[in-house]
Amino acid sequence: MKRSGRVWSWFWMILGIIYFFLPLVATFIFSLRAKKGVISFLAYQQLFNDSAFIKGFSYSVLWGVLTIIVGILIFVPTAYWVRLRAQQFRTAVEFITLLPFVIPAIVFVFGLVRTFSHPPFLIVDSPALLIAGYTVLSMPYMYRSIDTGLRSIDVRTLTEAAQSLGADWGTILFRIILPNIRVAILSGAFLSFAIVMGEYILAQYLAKPAFAPFLAFLIQQKAYEPAAATVISFALTWACMGIINLFGRGQQGTIAGGH
Amino acid sequence: MTHLALTNICKQFGETLAVSDFNLNVEKGEFVSFLGPSGCGKTTTLRMIAGFEVPTEGKVILDDVEITDKAPNQRNVGMVFQAYALFPNMSVAQNIGFGMQIHRESKAAIKQRVEEMLALIHLEKKGNSYPYQLSGGQQQRVALARALANRPQVLLLDEPLSALDAKIRVSLRAEIRAIQRKLGITAIYVTHDQEEALSISDRIVVMYEGKIEQVGTPFEIYNFPQTAFVANFVGTLNTAMAEVVDPAKRLLRIDGVQLESAEVMDDKRAGDKVTIAIRPERFNFVAQEMKANVLDCQIDNITFLGSVVRIQLLIGNNRFYMDTFNNPFLELPKIGDKAQITCSREAVLVLKN
Repeated sequence: MKRSGRVWSWFWMILGIIYFFLPLVATFIFSLRAKKGVISFLAYQQLFNDSAFIKGFSYSVLWGVLTIIVGILIFVPTAYWVRLRAQQFRTAVEFITLLPFVIPAIVFVFGLVRTFSHPPFLIVDSPALLIAGYTVLSMPYMYRSIDTGLRSIDVRTLTEAAQSLGADWGTILFRIILPNIRVAILSGAFLSFAIVMGEYILAQYLAKPAFAPFLAFLIQQKAYEPAAATVISFALTWACMGIINLFGRGQQGTIAGGH
Repeated sequence: MTHLALTNICKQFGETLAVSDFNLNVEKGEFVSFLGPSGCGKTTTLRMIAGFEVPTEGKVILDDVEITDKAPNQRNVGMVFQAYALFPNMSVAQNIGFGMQIHRESKAAIKQRVEEMLALIHLEKKGNSYPYQLSGGQQQRVALARALANRPQVLLLDEPLSALDAKIRVSLRAEIRAIQRKLGITAIYVTHDQEEALSISDRIVVMYEGKIEQVGTPFEIYNFPQTAFVANFVGTLNTAMAEVVDPAKRLLRIDGVQLESAEVMDDKRAGDKVTIAIRPERFNFVAQEMKANVLDCQIDNITFLGSVVRIQLLIGNNRFYMDTFNNPFLELPKIGDKAQITCSREAVLVLKN
């Protein structure tokens, strides 16, 4: 590479880093200035002493975990079946999984409220509706991660090999397919978790305790604590990404029989 | 006694007839190969025995029990796949013991059988390895052990050596055959490689466009092909159109030269056109004065193939091949030379179609 080309590469990379990190660094520094003239973690201390923060944060973690479980139970069998027996529906299913990108969350939540706020589907107060909503919102990430994982193994041949050895569908799914796409499932799970932790509209309009609505409320009330909460939120998302990378790095190399 | 019977099997995919009127009886302990080009229906037939495809018509009978509609996991059939299909999340020992685990056999029984199988495939020290740590040949041996561990009634092998390099292919096919003989298990082997089928099988089923062209021992298939397809697909063969001169005396004419065949031609009449076939190795240069089956030819090309030298000849308008064993003192003609070649009457085959 020419010297001038290398200089420009560095220039754009540094510009990108500044663009992404400067607001974060500024927020972090601001969050340390809760005590006048002193750098301290006071805002963080106050945040962790606030029961509303703990409640919102804990609920979001709970919603995140439940969303992941529901997502795995729905999308693993679906993606597996589409790959194995219903290839003709693949395009249609992929289109459906992308709908949450196309339909604004606010439209989606009003649809949920209207549909499920009167009999026979009176479940608007149930956390199940929130979990269902989160499952739909995380669908593009979860489904695509699983589908990518399934693409890396020879689903059909592995299934047939297991069948010829006497395995039933449950055994095939839980002992053969799931363990071989665990990295993909973990990726989807952590992405879903990050989505749920930062999601505001669904929790706000379905009136459920969660981290993002608490943060929005906090911004209106205080100065330093919202900055600390934002940093915590970022740290959590990045931790999720880090774990995905960590598991991804440990994945075995492609073996014969895989694509 | 028939161990596996396929009766009037047909398989249709939409408008396409993949397999039609397939009938075959396999004896216990027999090694039968399905041989044919891609798309001839050999794998589809194998998959119907395994239960992965359900025949549109016909019956699959194993040990006098009809299994046509049984699910694959309800049949006691072992299968080895081209892509090995080892479970990547399991060690070699776990892969081999998987089937027995499914059938809820005791841990001790599984351990003992896994050890037996590992010894059978000479991978005693690889029990704790994972599939990605093995070579292709080793993976396929593990796949074979896994398929055999359940003591299946029939072993099905779907082009198991296609993904391996030539040298390993040859050694592994001998190993597969030795294991099959040792265990006395009935085996159905799918391949498009005629050399593989000829070398490994008790009987070969040659298939073309979903139908059986010929069933026979490797010797019969090679030496006495019944159809033009079998003749052309198995080995190199010289074919030409000939005219029947005298059916009673089994005389034919090709480009004005008279040839004598050993084949019965009772259904032919003088003047009928037939396809004749002669293997390249059945030709010899005329060493002394001969009268029967002598063909004048011109040397068109000479190709050295290692143990064999292939000579391309022009006989009238026909291009024939002649194979002769290589030896360091072989005196070969030059390209363009005129020569005379001959073959025995038994070498001149008259094909059915």
